[in-house]
Amino acid sequence: MKSLLLAVLAAYLIAAIHSILAFINKRRSVQRVAEWCIAAGFILHTTALIADWGIDGHYPLFSLRETLSFLAWALVAAYGLILYRYHTHALGVFIMPLISFLTFAAMLIKSGPQAPAAFSTTWLFPIHTTLLIFAYAAFFIVFMASVMYLLLERELKLKTFGAIFHRLPSLSTVNQLATTSAVCGLTLLTLGIATGMIWSSNRDGRIWHNDPKEIFAVLTWLLYFLLLIYRSSADWRGRNAAWLGVAGFALVLCTFFGTRLLGGYHVFGVHILNQLF
Amino acid sequence: MSIVLVGVNHKTAPIEVRELLAFSDEACTDGLRRLVDGEIVREGLIVSTCNRVEILSATTSEQLEFGTERITEFLDTRRHLPQGFLNQHIYSHRDEEAVRHLFRVASSLDSMVVGEPQVLGQVRHAYSLAVEAGTAGRVLNRLVHHTFRVAKRVRTETGIAANAVSISYMAVELGKKIFDSLKGHTILLIGAGEMAELSARHLLNAGASRLLITNRTEESAKRLASEFGGTAAPFEELEKTLADADIVICSTGSPTFVVTEEMVRKSRERRRNRPMCLIDISVPRNIDPNAGNVPNVFVFDIDDLESVISSNIREREREAERAELIVQSEVMQFQQSLRLMDAGPTIGALREKLQDVARTELQRQRKRLGPLTPDQEAAVEQLLMATVNKISHPVLNQMRRFYETSDTETMQELAESFDNED
Repeated sequence: MKSLLLAVLAAYLIAAIHSILAFINKRRSVQRVAEWCIAAGFILHTTALIADWGIDGHYPLFSLRETLSFLAWALVAAYGLILYRYHTHALGVFIMPLISFLTFAAMLIKSGPQAPAAFSTTWLFPIHTTLLIFAYAAFFIVFMASVMYLLLERELKLKTFGAIFHRLPSLSTVNQLATTSAVCGLTLLTLGIATGMIWSSNRDGRIWHNDPKEIFAVLTWLLYFLLLIYRSSADWRGRNAAWLGVAGFALVLCTFFGTRLLGGYHVFGVHILNQLF
Repeated sequence: MSIVLVGVNHKTAPIEVRELLAFSDEACTDGLRRLVDGEIVREGLIVSTCNRVEILSATTSEQLEFGTERITEFLDTRRHLPQGFLNQHIYSHRDEEAVRHLFRVASSLDSMVVGEPQVLGQVRHAYSLAVEAGTAGRVLNRLVHHTFRVAKRVRTETGIAANAVSISYMAVELGKKIFDSLKGHTILLIGAGEMAELSARHLLNAGASRLLITNRTEESAKRLASEFGGTAAPFEELEKTLADADIVICSTGSPTFVVTEEMVRKSRERRRNRPMCLIDISVPRNIDPNAGNVPNVFVFDIDDLESVISSNIREREREAERAELIVQSEVMQFQQSLRLMDAGPTIGALREKLQDVARTELQRQRKRLGPLTPDQEAAVEQLLMATVNKISHPVLNQMRRFYETSDTETMQELAESFDNED
């Protein structure tokens, strides 16, 4: 298993290096190498996840190690879709190193405890976590697109026309990317929260535990809902919406690490630090 | 076969000389027919543009000197120029140098503005004229097609033509940086000037959907509108028109601001905050630079454009260095394929000759074989040919290899060693 993940990491690292090189000297051939590596890494990663599932006997999204690996996989999937749809290669410069880092971290961390039976028997729990992981990935894309928007907009307003001007995709593209990702993220988050509530009510009859993770999740939901309302109504196009996209991500991070810092209902099992859901 | 290129370009000759030498299309085909005699000059092609007049030809290797002289003379006598007048302007390249020169010209590395796209079309046109005149043969066909391939490689593999290097084209580049695609976007032209018109033309070519034109004098707005297929808008309603425009190009002779910050603010409201790109190419400026403070509005004046252009030119020069490497490797490839093409006849002739020897021997000894059925007859001949081919194959291969490594002398020696028997 380790060796497979090592191959995945190698593919992602090569992709990251080539994405950065392609960004710097704008060579299509270099970019192509990056894309092939991403594809190879993704296939290997998928295999690794399925193998994990088969060997461990539970859905490979429970311990911190599994979560990081799954998040990396979700980000690769999202980036692949974006490359296909928007051709925004510049995103790779930021996202591929992060993916490599997540994969690396997943390799370093020891396997967590086995999931209690309550989690492996129900099908609702894996759906809940999967939806939320993809929501996080989507919000990360919103964050990255917003940062790119702000950088390019600054460049255009200051008329400096440096490296960023020549290398980032157009304002309209990043704006659209941020909006689409926000819509996807919010939908996934809504569904994720809903499945969580159903699962929890099945388990102990309560849908709300006043737990920090739940509170942050609802705040995040509100913020992105606001963001989308603003984006669709005219006045908050552009810079302000981009700032909101950046700020929203801080809240996402709080949600993601919320349990770790504050404890609460979403801590399952003994190893508090190893649990995120 | 040798390739010779003789000509003048913008670096070696002033316009007065270039215009004397320039060829019209008819003059080009006529001239080619006169120049190519099938003896010394075997094939010919004339590239005549405002920046260069170049004659490319294929001659036999032995008469290379003579061929070059003839072409120079041809240029001299066309306009009855005094002997030697062209000497200081003219350059001539042979073989590898000539091939490299043509590759560089077609890839736009030798142009006044490096990376400009027209020159490839001009080379293509020159080739079609040569084909029409019937003076493009085996060598030039191959060379020109290889040239097209090199030019395409340079264009796709380097960023030599990636960034705008003219004011008029900057509008397209900025528009694309903001709106991604110009499709579905509206251009507003305020005032008229050569540069503004050129910008509008580029924007329309790049896919802009609608063009609005406004001018203090309504007639000129209408004239331009009919020329470009746009719509003329009354100048008094500029504020209203502004709200419809995504990209505004302003170039009027007005001494004051035509577009004020206030107008831009209002139109932004009406546009529901959609981004807007204002390009001011007039001096004194016609768009209040403070309009750039309005969110989602981007204002550029002529100095901003100039600064991007100079940075783009530097970028192109960097890319040109990479393009030179591509050209270098392609020149080598072409030289190799040309050598093989030359080797073809020599090797083919030798094989032919050896087979002839076998056939003659068969004729001489035929009687001694007695009567044979047609099948047997064919079998005997086949046997002889197969033996000859099998024996000569390693030698022919060796010759081919010598040719590929450009060791023509050894190849020639090998070929001649078969002649000694006579």
